[in-house]
Amino acid sequence: MSTGSVPTLGSAEAPITPAPEPGTVRRVRRRNPNRPVYQEEPKAITKISKGVLLTIIVLTVIFPLWSIIITSFSTNAAVTRAGGMVVLPDELTIAAYRQIIAGGIVTRAVGVSVFVTGVGTLLSTTLTILAAWGLSKPTSFGHRPILFIFLMTMFFGAGMIPSYLLISNLGLLNSLWALILPGAVSAFNVLITRNFFMAIEPAIIEAARIDGAGEWRILSTIVVPLSRAVIAVVALFYGVGYWNAFFNAMLYINDNTKWPLQLVLRSYVLQGQAMPGADPGQIDIREGQVTGLPIQMAVVVLALVPILMIYPFVQRHFTKGVIFGAVKG
Amino acid sequence: MSNGLSRRGFIGALGLGATAIAGSSLLAGCRTDGAGTDSPNGGGTNGGSAGPDQKLPNYTLKEYVSPDYPPPANGFEKIPAEYVKVYDQPPGTGQALTVMTPLWGAIPRTSGNKYFDGINERLGAKLTFQISDGNTYGDKMSTVLASQKDMPDWMCLTTWNLPASFSDDATALFTDLSPYIGGDKVNEYPNLASIPTDSWRYSVYGDTLIGIPMPDAGIPNVLFYRADLFEKEGIKDLPTTPDEVLELAKQLTSASAGRYGTDDMQTPSFNQFAVPAKWKIEGDKLIHRYETQEYRDAIANNAKFFAAGVVHPDAVAGTGDGKQRFESGQTMMMSDGIGGWAEALQRQLPNNPQYSQLPMPVIGSGSGDPVVWKGPAMGIFSAIKKGLSEEKIKEILKIADFLASPFGTEEYNLVNYGIEGTHYTLDADKLPKLNALGTTEVQPTYIFLASPPPSVAKVQFPGFVKAYSEWVNNTAKFFKEPAFYGMNIAVPTRLAALDSPFGDLEKDISRGRKTMKDLDAAVETWKKNGGEELRGIYQKVLDEQ
Amino acid sequence: MDAADSTTGDFARRPRRGRRAPAAPTRKLSAWTRFKRDRSLILMTLPAVLLLLLFAYLPMAGNIAAWQDYRPARGFRGSAFIAWDNFERMFTNERFALAVKNTLIITGFQLVFYFPVPIILALLLNSVLSTKVRTFIQSVVYLPHFFSWVIVVTVFQQMFGGAGLVNRVLLQNGRQPFDLMTNPDTFLILITSQSIWKDAGWGIIIFLAALSTVDPALHEAVAIDGGNWWRRMWHVTLPALRPVVILLLILRLGDALSVGFEQLILQRAAVGADTSEVIDTFVYYQGVIAGDWGFATAAGLVKGVVGLMLVLGANKLAHMVGEAGVYQKA
Repeated sequence: MSTGSVPTLGSAEAPITPAPEPGTVRRVRRRNPNRPVYQEEPKAITKISKGVLLTIIVLTVIFPLWSIIITSFSTNAAVTRAGGMVVLPDELTIAAYRQIIAGGIVTRAVGVSVFVTGVGTLLSTTLTILAAWGLSKPTSFGHRPILFIFLMTMFFGAGMIPSYLLISNLGLLNSLWALILPGAVSAFNVLITRNFFMAIEPAIIEAARIDGAGEWRILSTIVVPLSRAVIAVVALFYGVGYWNAFFNAMLYINDNTKWPLQLVLRSYVLQGQAMPGADPGQIDIREGQVTGLPIQMAVVVLALVPILMIYPFVQRHFTKGVIFGAVKG
Repeated sequence: MSNGLSRRGFIGALGLGATAIAGSSLLAGCRTDGAGTDSPNGGGTNGGSAGPDQKLPNYTLKEYVSPDYPPPANGFEKIPAEYVKVYDQPPGTGQALTVMTPLWGAIPRTSGNKYFDGINERLGAKLTFQISDGNTYGDKMSTVLASQKDMPDWMCLTTWNLPASFSDDATALFTDLSPYIGGDKVNEYPNLASIPTDSWRYSVYGDTLIGIPMPDAGIPNVLFYRADLFEKEGIKDLPTTPDEVLELAKQLTSASAGRYGTDDMQTPSFNQFAVPAKWKIEGDKLIHRYETQEYRDAIANNAKFFAAGVVHPDAVAGTGDGKQRFESGQTMMMSDGIGGWAEALQRQLPNNPQYSQLPMPVIGSGSGDPVVWKGPAMGIFSAIKKGLSEEKIKEILKIADFLASPFGTEEYNLVNYGIEGTHYTLDADKLPKLNALGTTEVQPTYIFLASPPPSVAKVQFPGFVKAYSEWVNNTAKFFKEPAFYGMNIAVPTRLAALDSPFGDLEKDISRGRKTMKDLDAAVETWKKNGGEELRGIYQKVLDEQ
Repeated sequence: MDAADSTTGDFARRPRRGRRAPAAPTRKLSAWTRFKRDRSLILMTLPAVLLLLLFAYLPMAGNIAAWQDYRPARGFRGSAFIAWDNFERMFTNERFALAVKNTLIITGFQLVFYFPVPIILALLLNSVLSTKVRTFIQSVVYLPHFFSWVIVVTVFQQMFGGAGLVNRVLLQNGRQPFDLMTNPDTFLILITSQSIWKDAGWGIIIFLAALSTVDPALHEAVAIDGGNWWRRMWHVTLPALRPVVILLLILRLGDALSVGFEQLILQRAAVGADTSEVIDTFVYYQGVIAGDWGFATAAGLVKGVVGLMLVLGANKLAHMVGEAGVYQKA
């Protein structure tokens, strides 16, 4: 507790000046308006090196991403000329995208994926919040055994065949629930959420308890509003997991009108690939069709689109101070 | 973080990993490990297998159009003026069947698809397809085999995904076909009777004929060279020995220009030095591939290419797409399956009419004729679930016969290109040309249930059929059957992984990271860990022959 | 130390103290009383627990295959029991020791050089003042997470491979090329760089969420007390991150035996199996590829047991230094 008492005397640092004084007007104007008043202006070298570092980091992502996007819009001829990934736009075409969408199965698959991701994320996030709060009191009844039920699933898996047999015996083959229920609860996410819940100021919760609020009310009126950031993160993790999953669908869904998008897109990547045992008369490349890299990269880009659409909404919850500003008042 | 999220069972995780990369290395691995494939020419080679119990179908070739080049090439220089109609009446009686196949290609819609509806109508049966992405088909197969109530009536099996012990279990799962098509009974199904005996031999598991084979194209991997670029470089004489290949590769390599002589030369080396796929009989002794001199020589030969710096660095790293490197002129020689030839022409000719790749004539390691080991005559087959009624089995076989109609028939075009007018039109060469609907709807999954011996009729590429057929038929002259040809021998699961260190060693030694001494040690370990037991198993089979 | 302190630098450390406050009196209550008191908490965990029991625990029975020569076609009932043979084969295999060694080296290296990167990156981003710039960087750096390993390796190969961009420039200027992608000596650095490029940007998300829970008033309070940048970092920012960092660190230890399966398989030819063989690839080549389910299952169990023990051990260690860890002593 003594850690809080900071020596206040004779700091050599520039004094922190919350209120502008007449003599410092020039300095104040130069300050970034976003900089909190208590924060000292960093040295120029610090600022520059930070800028350079962040620019490099961003460029290492932007450059390959550019190449991926350009390649997805390239013809096979352009890819051959470039000898691989295209960097400088050569011959641009939307053929790869048109080809993927023309398959007819893609639009339906988008619907399936949206349903599975939407329902799954809602269900998973709800269950996770409930479980995390249920486990947030280390002194509660059965706390440790229940926690271990979650923990053990992180170390011991079930394997593909036993899981398949279970789904088959439950009659869930060909049902979209087979894509949602088996992975609905991730112990990892429960633990993360619980960790954040336990970091909430106990005084607030105690106060509510003294006011006679039950656990359900505390959870819904205090804990959840205070934990928007972690809930957004966990929902994002679940959402991305559901959206990207294809393996279970491959095993459990025979009817391909119920396939999620990722499983359908994977098959496009294979188009035009040499098939084992194929003779030269069969499954050949269709005239005028794009194959190989452009299709593969178009699939990568298409898979990114929903993430790009969702991420800003998640990110909003990371804004500093929002939470406490809202609650403290 | 995400590993917490996507955490599944261990095997599941492995499955994910495996499938994601299968496209590049794993399938290719399966393909080349067999040291090439074989000839569909089964005419005189059925040995003693079609014995007195008439287990195997007798071979009777039913020809609708005569090829210009005989099998195994089966090449057609001209498209027949009229396509023959084999089935006037649908072979089926309107039964519903569930079938399961892989597909290496964009998954089509299965309901409301005129291709499937149209063929089902011609078949007189309602086939409901469960189609899986070819690279994950092994996983799908294992789960279905583990849950027999979910087994479809008729399913495709890919041999490289089957466990080593499959022979022990096959008869419990699948229908014995010998009572229906053994011996002359197959004559009811003339197109099935035209499937070479070698392919049928490979469809016997646990002493029971369970499979309808997809006859393999039957040609070992080919060393292609860029004929157009060779001409530009003024190279007139093709190499005739492995050393000459190396010299040529050195001459063609210019790292600063980003051009390299070859891609990975492992497969060509193994072919040139005639490394046996599994066993070699020397006198009355069984010598395993890893113990042979051929094996060592082939690895040493490949190592010379790496040491000389003529292998493209991406191939050294084992990443990327070799075909892309070759077609864009970054490499001048590359090993590929013969089927890749037409595919490359299809990709490149529209943009670059000068493009030309040709197969090098097969060369051996020494003087005298090269040896070309014949590979398995089948890699994919279909099997019928056990417990179906006799009528249903016969109907399935009839449908299989329909699907196995060869080139030159309407049925062949139907299966491969869909319905004329709806999915394709015949162009000036009388070749089927897919239209927009055909491009999206037609994915010939039926070929994984039954198909004819391969043929080639790509007359749209000038000179291709001739070059292809002559190369194939010339190579077939050097075919030699390896030990235990045409046999599926069950091996205990625990011995199946004995091969695994050698795949690594081949790469390590050729890239100069290890030496032959390491190979000696590995062979000793192999013997100790079950190699001798394996030899015993095969020796027993040999003694019984 | 209680709520009254909340304006001091101690605020953010409260998480690990919070558990102490109610602990003392509950010990004395009977189980029934505690059950009645906590029944709504138990009820809250129930749906998740039921799903796990059904979809995770029930099929876990299939781990019996670890003691079987399991054949899918024969099922768990029909497959032969072979006692500890699968385990024995794993432990006696020459390559197993190598795989374990490589796995531990890679895990250890990445704990030091990968694990802190997302934290540092999150702090760096957090210090960017302009919301626009910060939002932009955040929405760029996470993207490589969605590229498959095939693409990541391809990108690196095209940059640093023997025929990559860097080497082409070197060659054209008459310099000696170097092949970073096939050098076993620098492989650890290579795969860690790849992991950082692919996943560090995604990994910051949890830390950003943790940082967003810090009350700016706390910074102000410390600053008014004369605390400089370091003090504010030490007393406010880091304490807010600490519980989640420790949780992730412990869970990462539980995963110590799983390292980049796909990433390593893709680069196996490039550097050789001696450098890149880890437990997962070992099991893949020795078991899965050959259809040896029993062997693969046995390996999964061993990994699980080791992972569990590591987590329990790390958790104990966390308690000893006064951290909450994954679970608490009741």
